[in-house]
Amino acid sequence: MPRRSREEEEEEAVDDMEEEEEEEEERGGKRSRAGGHGKRSRGVESFIDDADEDDDDDDDDDDDDYGGGGRGRASKRRRSSILIDDMAQVDDDDDIDDDSSDVEPGFIDDTDAGVEIRHNDVVRRCIPHSSSMLEDNEDMQEIVRRLQNRYKEASHFDYDEEVTEVEQQALLPSVKDPKLWMVKCATGHERETAVCLMQKFIDRPNLQIKSVVALEHLKNFIYIEAEKEAHVKEACKGLRNIIASTKPTLVPIREMADVLSIESKSVDLSRDSWVRMKLGMYKGDLAKVVDVDNVGRKVTVKLIPRIDLQVLANKLDGQEVPKKSFIPPPRFFSVDEARELHIRVDRRRNRDSGEYFDVVGGLLFKDGFLHKTFSIKSISTQNIKPTFDELEKFKKPGDDLNEDVASLSTLFTNRKKGHFMKGDAVIVIKGDLKNLKGSVEKVEDSTVHIQPKLAGLPRTLAFSETDLCKYFNPGDHVKVISGVQEGATGMVVKVEGHVLIILSDTTKEHIRVFADHVVESSEVTTGVTRIGDYELHELALLNNSSFGIIIRLESEAFQVLKGVPDKPELVLVKLREIKCKIDRRTSAKDRYNNIVSTKDVVRVAEGACKGKQGPVEHIHRGILFIYDRHYLEHSGFICAKAQSCFLVGGSTGSHHGNAMDKADPHFHAFGSQARILQSPGRLPPRGPQMNSGGRFGGRGSGGRGNDTLVNRCIKIRSGPYKGYRGRVKELTGLLVRVELESLMKIVTVKREDIGETAAVATPFRETCYSRGVETPVHPSRTPLHPIQTPMRDPGATPVRDVMRTMPSRAWVPLSPHRDNREDGDSTWASSPAYQPGTPRPRPYEAPTPGSGWASWGDASVNTPSTNVPSTPIGQPMTPDPASYLVGTPSGQPMTPGYGGMELMSPVIGGEAEGSWLLPDVLVNVSRGGDEVSNAVVKEVLLDGSCRVSLGPLGEGDELIVTANELEVIRPKKNEKLKIMNGSLRGATGKLIGVDGSDGIVKVEGSLDVKIVDMAILGKLAA
Amino acid sequence: MFFHIVLERNMQLHPRHFGPHLRDKLVSKLIKDVEGTCSGRHGFVVAITGVEDIGKGLIREGTGYVTFPVKYQCVVFRPFKGEILEAVVTMVNKMGFFAEAGPVQIFVSNHLIPDDMEFQSGDVPNYTTSDGSVKIQKESEVRLKIIGTRVDATEIFCIGTIKDDFLGVINDPGAAV
Repeated sequence: MPRRSREEEEEEAVDDMEEEEEEEEERGGKRSRAGGHGKRSRGVESFIDDADEDDDDDDDDDDDDYGGGGRGRASKRRRSSILIDDMAQVDDDDDIDDDSSDVEPGFIDDTDAGVEIRHNDVVRRCIPHSSSMLEDNEDMQEIVRRLQNRYKEASHFDYDEEVTEVEQQALLPSVKDPKLWMVKCATGHERETAVCLMQKFIDRPNLQIKSVVALEHLKNFIYIEAEKEAHVKEACKGLRNIIASTKPTLVPIREMADVLSIESKSVDLSRDSWVRMKLGMYKGDLAKVVDVDNVGRKVTVKLIPRIDLQVLANKLDGQEVPKKSFIPPPRFFSVDEARELHIRVDRRRNRDSGEYFDVVGGLLFKDGFLHKTFSIKSISTQNIKPTFDELEKFKKPGDDLNEDVASLSTLFTNRKKGHFMKGDAVIVIKGDLKNLKGSVEKVEDSTVHIQPKLAGLPRTLAFSETDLCKYFNPGDHVKVISGVQEGATGMVVKVEGHVLIILSDTTKEHIRVFADHVVESSEVTTGVTRIGDYELHELALLNNSSFGIIIRLESEAFQVLKGVPDKPELVLVKLREIKCKIDRRTSAKDRYNNIVSTKDVVRVAEGACKGKQGPVEHIHRGILFIYDRHYLEHSGFICAKAQSCFLVGGSTGSHHGNAMDKADPHFHAFGSQARILQSPGRLPPRGPQMNSGGRFGGRGSGGRGNDTLVNRCIKIRSGPYKGYRGRVKELTGLLVRVELESLMKIVTVKREDIGETAAVATPFRETCYSRGVETPVHPSRTPLHPIQTPMRDPGATPVRDVMRTMPSRAWVPLSPHRDNREDGDSTWASSPAYQPGTPRPRPYEAPTPGSGWASWGDASVNTPSTNVPSTPIGQPMTPDPASYLVGTPSGQPMTPGYGGMELMSPVIGGEAEGSWLLPDVLVNVSRGGDEVSNAVVKEVLLDGSCRVSLGPLGEGDELIVTANELEVIRPKKNEKLKIMNGSLRGATGKLIGVDGSDGIVKVEGSLDVKIVDMAILGKLAA
Repeated sequence: MFFHIVLERNMQLHPRHFGPHLRDKLVSKLIKDVEGTCSGRHGFVVAITGVEDIGKGLIREGTGYVTFPVKYQCVVFRPFKGEILEAVVTMVNKMGFFAEAGPVQIFVSNHLIPDDMEFQSGDVPNYTTSDGSVKIQKESEVRLKIIGTRVDATEIFCIGTIKDDFLGVINDPGAAV
């Protein structure tokens, strides 16, 4: 090896010299001539060819490169460096010159190029390592003879005869033989050092070392063979690459053979095998070997290019290309796309293989793949486990994965020991007996004896392990033993050659695995069932006080189905994100107030999972996790509120009856309690209207569902009021009126936007409607009011005034929305309740003569706009704060809430598309038909509309537009943008590329490059 | 496949049932306990057809329960690989469809549905041939071949195929409407 590199150096030197000369002489002149020659592919060209050609040829050759490459000296340099492989990194010419000043007496300087070449020829033919002796002017023949003599003894074995083990044994080094010393030298200079030592040996024959070895794989050390340590030291003296301070280490005799024995795992690269890149932009990428140049230690691989065409275009245009800090994602090269960017794409034919390549700026592309030549060192060949996704990408359409026997062979080299076991069904994939099926009889090292299934064949046949692949039949139950899906079990659904499609037992999903990665098994698992303390299907408390059931374990992460009823919410959490596991035995009440505990079978009565049924696996905070084996998603787990489920088993009917019996007294109790304890506030304002009707009218089951939620403390989970806590005032259809604790106002939010702070049932939807239906009953109840009124009389008046005033003040901004209240609100279930309700306050007129109450009531019905001016009628100052506080929650007068409802609905509606608008985003405003103008969002208002200022820079008029009049302008490449949704919401950045519907965004303030859906990107106003 | 076999089971009976109707009690308890269960070995116990023999009871210490060895004849249903069954489709999704043949759940993967049938999502997800003549949706009756079984202690799960001659829809409720 050192010798080879020596030679290379020489050649390099020679080449360089020639070039320089030629360059001077013939610059320009020959360029046109060279144009006529096809460009020689640099990768294929071997340096030996080069040198073997005579002077003229050499000239030509060089010229070719000049002309074709058009890069003159620089390109030549590169070629040279390719020729000497990795040595170039360490040995630049200067280096050699330095060294040669003492050890090599300047042969480079005084050599005539032509002579040198001739010498080279001779030298190569006979003894390719002794060229450096030329300077001694010894007779060639003499050298040859001498060397032949030297090696005669060593090569006396007849290799044709089989070498017996004993003979081999005899060759092992013994105590009498020279010893091997390990000497430390500068990293990367191992070969150089060896060459230097050789030179030294030639110069000074009294040097008593026998040989020097620099091993490819061993960095920082060389081996010197010598009798004594002193000899080694002597030899090393004066060599600057050898670290003099370290003592040579003796290699024990036993290990001497190992030093020079070839690694059994030596790189066995063949075409079509899979490799991974070790360095550079493609680090970690899978590549397929196209061509191997064992002499040049180079491989040509095809990989999926990571090329930013835009950048490439800029570069070819001669524009300054900024150093990028990110690596473009792998994408297939498309000639059309390149042409679109005005990149010149040449189509050339490779001289050797006859294949056509698209050439762009020196890069070769074929079928979208990049064909590139790398040094063997820069690729890793061991332990390549291509994943399915990667392989699929490499698969041409219509190309069968299995046809690629060679590519599979890569997979086979990674087989674990004991891959085949007796009884395994196997199929032959190589050779004459391809596709022969059989079962394994015996395994001996790498030979597998199989019993063929076909009749008429010998009892057993022996195959090499690599010729065989496991074989499975559809319906077999298997377990995956390696790969990404390791541990999963399932049934084979389909066999596509060496790829199995398995139906996983637990997830009921299809998994694609290599036949080689599975074994037949009757075990049923999902793979790993435990990470740390947490096991599959356990209930875990997550960091952010949410909880969920672990439904799948992935490598180092759990997939958790969160305890959010109605819509399944999946999160992937890391081990550290789980606080603890919840292992409490709790129970909850179902909708009929039956106690549900774990393992009880329940059926979901409402919500998205309505009709699902199964045993309860966990209960936490009134949320049930139900396992329905017929449910396929989320491993069959369903999350539902206890209150929206009912216990199955026993007769539901009787339960129902019981429940009613139980519920009714409970209900009444609740009602009465409610008046006193739970919702004292409910009484003063609303008592006369609703309570009397509701309670004594026995709204019965209809209203019960509502009552469970009404007056509960809830937290708003999403929407504009996200995060607020409040008390539920009323339920109407899908909407809930909530009195916010912090804002002293009542807002209407969607039912699904609220989350309970306590276990609360979602009332049955129907009941809400039925309630609307039932409300007309109220008027008939009104006569009862007078009975009640006395109760209220004492303190009622002031309270009521307060109640009227305060909320109405809060509603002032909302008042415009009330205009359409009367015509557009038939959907609002309780409106009929309200209307009949309004006359009711009249009876109070008497007790509160001065309040202007009656007029308010009337006004609110007929001309709501007058409501605002009417507010001052109520005495704002009268409030008895205590009573107000107590009273706040519940019985808000109907009207305002009503108005509030009207108001809120657009907010909620707008929320879906509008709320993710952000200030500074450039939008198109379309007002009044087809007039569209640019505008900049200044502010997003609570109700979803936006304050925008017109003009692309936002310098124009400001106006307020609703979300549906806005259209976000998507950023183009290299434009600044704002991410309007997702985890990066609010972040600004720059679009550096577009990939289908995804944008590649460089997030400002970090080096991150994110791939974000274009739909959530908004162009940032300049 | 159905089998009529004799099985044995140790029944525990509470002392309060001891009396003239002991045998009846025992049999009714046996029926309650056994019918509808599934054992990996024998499959689903569909019905008990008769009690062959009730052995001598053994009083268990401490509890007073008495254990009777009971031999009974029953009809069991066990699906086998390669068996052809008729089943009712219970669920259709993009991965395939589930069908039930009595107590046995069978999954037919989309790989095992003829290639000309394609999944159509929508209100009623179904697999339909390109010409629309054959449709597999919920409640359809199909004839399928079992290609694999997984037997748990309490459940038998099968994988079936309809990608073979004479397999497929035999009665389509959708077509009738």
